Order: sequence, then C-alpha cells, then structure tokens
Amino acid sequence: MTESKYFPLKIFISQEAEPSPITARVLKNAPGIPHEVIDDPQDLIEDIRMSRHPVEQGKQFLLLTVQKGEFIKPCPCTPHYLGCNYFIINLETNCPLDCNYCILQSYLSNPLVTVHVNHDDLWQELAGFTARQDRIFRIGTGELADSLALDHLTENSRILISRFRDQRKAIFELKTKTTNIDHVLEQEPAPNIVVSWSLNTPKLAQEHETGAPPVEQRLQAAKKITRVGFRVGFHFDPLIRYPGWEEDYEEVVRLLFEAVDPERIAWMSLGSLRFPPDFISVINRRFPTSKIFHDEFIRGRDGKFRYFKPLRLELYHRVARTIKKTAGTDVPLYFCMESRDVWQAVLKKMPRDEQEVEHSLTHPAAYLEEF
Amino acid sequence: MKIQQVPLENLYLQDERFRISRFFSFDRLILSIKEIGLVHPPLVTWRDNLLIPVTGWKRILACLELSFSPIPVVCLDEPSDLKVFLKAFYENLAIREYSLLEKAEILKKLKHFGENEKSIIKHYLPRLGIPPTAHYLDIYLVFSEFPQEVQKSIHDKQMPFAILEIFAAFSPQERERLLPLLLPLGQNKQRELLEDCREISIREDLSAVKVLESSNIQKILASKTLSSLQKSNKIRHLLRKRRYPHLSAQQERFEATLKKVGWPRDVSLEPSRFFEEDKMTLRFDFKNEKELRDALSKLHEASSKKDFAKIFKPPADD
Repeated sequence: MTESKYFPLKIFISQEAEPSPITARVLKNAPGIPHEVIDDPQDLIEDIRMSRHPVEQGKQFLLLTVQKGEFIKPCPCTPHYLGCNYFIINLETNCPLDCNYCILQSYLSNPLVTVHVNHDDLWQELAGFTARQDRIFRIGTGELADSLALDHLTENSRILISRFRDQRKAIFELKTKTTNIDHVLEQEPAPNIVVSWSLNTPKLAQEHETGAPPVEQRLQAAKKITRVGFRVGFHFDPLIRYPGWEEDYEEVVRLLFEAVDPERIAWMSLGSLRFPPDFISVINRRFPTSKIFHDEFIRGRDGKFRYFKPLRLELYHRVARTIKKTAGTDVPLYFCMESRDVWQAVLKKMPRDEQEVEHSLTHPAAYLEEF
Repeated sequence: MKIQQVPLENLYLQDERFRISRFFSFDRLILSIKEIGLVHPPLVTWRDNLLIPVTGWKRILACLELSFSPIPVVCLDEPSDLKVFLKAFYENLAIREYSLLEKAEILKKLKHFGENEKSIIKHYLPRLGIPPTAHYLDIYLVFSEFPQEVQKSIHDKQMPFAILEIFAAFSPQERERLLPLLLPLGQNKQRELLEDCREISIREDLSAVKVLESSNIQKILASKTLSSLQKSNKIRHLLRKRRYPHLSAQQERFEATLKKVGWPRDVSLEPSRFFEEDKMTLRFDFKNEKELRDALSKLHEASSKKDFAKIFKPPADD
C-alpha cells in the first residue's frame, strides 16, 4: 500500500456532500481522478449491485456522501458468543483491499467504497455518546472499512486522532492492514489512541489478502508507530488452517515481537475463520477453487460457519502459547466472537460478560499510568 | 383480436419458440374440455407461412389427445418475436405462478429474442420473484440449458432453487452422475450430498466424478441387493465422513464410549450439536417411582465406569 495507494477510477459525489470541506480535500488529494456530482447515489448503487461483478466494480469507485443514520453503533458481534463491548464509527464503509474471506462482500448492501463527509454530525453524535458513557470504552473505525486505506485521500486519521486525544473515556482504535501511516506519524501520540494491524501468515496474506501489503511491511509500519509513542494492537483474525499453519503462525508471532516492544501493545485478539451461510454464494462465485472455505466447518450457535471446535482450540492454543512464550510478558489477549468455554480452555479465564472483557482491555496499568 | 376456428392439423407444433411449459399433466383439463369444450382460446401467430402456438400449449395438447378439432384461437398479427413472447409471458403471469424451470425458460427466451440483459435483470427478474442481479440471471440460464430428462426429474422432484444452485455448479458430466443419487432423497439430504461432494472435490482437488469413482462408493453402486434409496443413503454417509473426519471421529468415539460403559438403551444422552457447547442432554421416560429408580440405578452403574469420563474430555486428551 505504501507503494500503491488506492485511487478510484472515478469519484461520485452526492449533491449533499458537494459543499463539504472533506469532499474538497479528497478531490485535492486525488488530482486527475474524474468526478461527478450525482442526484441519487442509490441509482448508482443499484446499477452496481445488479452487475455481474458487484464487489469488484464497487471497489473501483469512490462515493462521497452523507451518513443519514447514526455514525456510532455497538459492534454487532454475533449471537450466543462473547463480545467485547466495542463501538464502531461508520465514517467509511467498504474497502479497496480485496481479502477473500472478508464478510463485507455479502454484509454491505452498498458495494461502493464510501466516505461519509458530514463530520459535524459525527462530532455532535460523539459528544452525546461520550457524555452518556460511565466508563472507559473502546471505539474504532475499522469494522466496516479499513481505517487507513483511504487516509491519503481523506486524512481522516489526523482529524480523528485530534478529536479523540482529549476524550479520556474513549480508547480510539484505527484498525488497518495497510502501511498508510503518514498522517498518523504527523500526530502527537496519546495513550488512548491505538493503531492496530490485522495480521496473518505471509502465505495467507499473499494468497488471500489482495491489495494489502505483505505482513513484514505491516510490522515495519507498526514499529514506526510505536517509535513515535503510539500504542499498537494486533488482530490475528481470521486464523486459518492450511498445511503448515503451525510453523507459519509461529513465524509471524516471532516477526511481530522482533519489530514491536510488547509493552507498547494495547491488545491482541484472536478469531478463527467464520462466515454466514449467504457468504458461500459469494465465495463460489469469486473464489470457486479456494480451499480455505472448505475445511471442516460446522454451523455454530449463531448459525455461522466456523471450524469444528477442537480444530479452533488447536489453532488458538498454538497461537496463544506462542504469543505468551515469545512476548515474555502478559500481552492483553482476547477472543473475537468466541464462547466462554473457549476462553477458559485457552486463556484460562472465563469473563462473566462483555463488560468484563471490555474492562480487561481498557484498564491495563500501562494505559492508566500514561494518562 | 378476433377469435377464429382452426383445425388442429393446421397448427405447426414443431415450432416451440414461444413455449414456456413442458412438464404438466392435463387430466383435469381433458375432463373440462370433454364437458364444456375449450373456453379460453390459445394465442397463435404466423411465422414462415405456418400458424404456430404462442400460449395455450397445454390446451392444444389436451385437444390433440381428445381429437377435439377445430379449436378456437386468437391470431396475433405481430412480426416481432419479442413482442409476441411478452404477450405469452404476461398472459400467464396474470393468472398463475411460474415454476422454477419455466422462469429459466422465460429468461432464456427473453435473451434469445433480443431483450437487453440490463432490462432483463432490472425489470423481468423482479416480476418473476427473482432478486435483480446478474448472478441470478446466470444461474437461471444454466438451469435452462439442463437436458430435458434432467429438467423432468427436477420438475418431478420439485427441487428448490437452493439445491439447484449447488447442482448447477457441477459440470454436465458430474451432474449426470449425481442426479440418480439425488432422486431417491428428500431435499435436506439432497443438499447435504451435493454440498459434501462439492466440498470434498475442492478440498482434495478432484472432480466430483473422481470422488464418486472411489472404490467404496463404486462397491455400493454395484450392489444388487440395495435399493436406490439405500445406495444414496450409504453414499451420503460415506461422503459426510470424508468431509467431516474430525467430527465423525468424535461422534464415533462418543458412541463407542457409551457402548463400552453399557449405557442403557432406553436413556438417550446427546451431545450439543456438532459438540459446539460443553453441555449434553439426558432424556428418558418413566411411569412411576420404580421405573425412575431403575433408570437412575442403571445410569449410576454406567457412569461409574472409568471410561465414562472420556465423553467429557476433548479428543486430544483421549
């Protein structure tokens, strides 16, 4: 991504978004890219949805529009498994990267890479939301988009970091697979700002994370970020089984701790490959011969496909053990969308509920000391 | 449009360009025509100096069966095949639900008669109750190319879209091998067999034909004593085991442990679905205190055996 930043074939701007300074900034940062103001983005969205390759086509265009609903939502997590009480800001939706396993391919009804430019509405909503919270909470922009993949166009990281810097109740996370960190590096660090990377093995990254930089480059970006004083996070999600996964994940963990001081890690999460049933038709269309979706998946309690539990446990045990052994210290580790008995089996702790998970991630001593 | 009487032999039935339906029974229609004659005249039109049916194939064939001639028809004077076909489409749309294969045939014909693809997706798919995307159009077009005998089986078994979508992903040669295995099964099992076969074929880099050529499956297929249903079920079990080796092994281990400890037959002990949760369900019936005490005593005896603890342990600890 450092070498090949995303530029769309064309930028579409909804009428309401045209006067926004964010729109002007994106156009300034995308010189030479044609743009068009359109009456109704829904017509464009429908046209692309109808096409033979909606996911591919959607990634070619950038839509600047306004968020008409709420920006801030609780992370939907999944029923019957333990969540972490995370909140998401839908400032952008969709992603120019093309990870085979990404559920956004079937989750979002709008296939276009979309940036919501009505920041004033967000700040107003955020002020009210923060005032209502009686505890430290985690919030981020990397759930329905990659937090930094469009940052060279939007410069949103700069704006978000400066907004959250003084929000002491919020720990704000920028979650990415890219190395698009220039605007982050320009900012003064703050203990409640975490820049995190999704990691996988180099083999999986190369074969299944189209458009994302190699894992080594992500780790070098993380190293730079910690050197200027930010805390970082890492998400081993989705962990995927394939012949040789054991050694390959061990190698990534080794590379990670070579690059980053464990003391600077705010949290690390583990999650295994999972997908809803309607995702299968996307896979069959787009990646008909990909083997990763044809392992021993069962329907979990939430109805999604996930590895048969002993296979998940094997993945988690191996990676968690390697992290603990290599880090040589207690890195805050948690599961994304797992059951309490998996927590107990692997991490030897069984949080009562998602508030307890949240508390364990928002109250590590290092974070409080820095404040 | 004027109704006119046309002898049946004047209709050129070999030209099926506007025909949508192929599989129907017309016993009731025959009875109706016998009793009151043909009330609703079919639509026909001239092509290459021949009078060909547009709608009412079922009515015409019923009349043919009854040698009921001449019949009343309405002749359309319209040179555009697309416009004529749309009359057939809308006439039926107004009065009945199209079957899945009829929808496929309609979409194929719309395309053939020159309707543009975007318009088919945007306008006709929703009218047929199909989501308006190119993906769905493509799948229905594959259905429309299935050989007639395959279509007939699909029609007779009333196979739903979800199963046909998986079926269509196989090659014609693979479909030919799979169809006889599917036909004796109910829909859930059809789906399971297709999914398992597809998963194995992708995972093991084999064609479905090769998967079905494995020696244990061939042995079942060659059996002279097994019925078609028994063969399909046995093959389904084999495929399931091959697709889910760890899950199958755990199930077998669970059942073997219960057998080893002499678990009472009239008491069911079920693990959670796919062993996903750390809980089990115990179920038994009793009519009185004695039966309850007997059952509890048997349970106590079986659960006191050393091996019983194995059912609570993850497979790696065995």
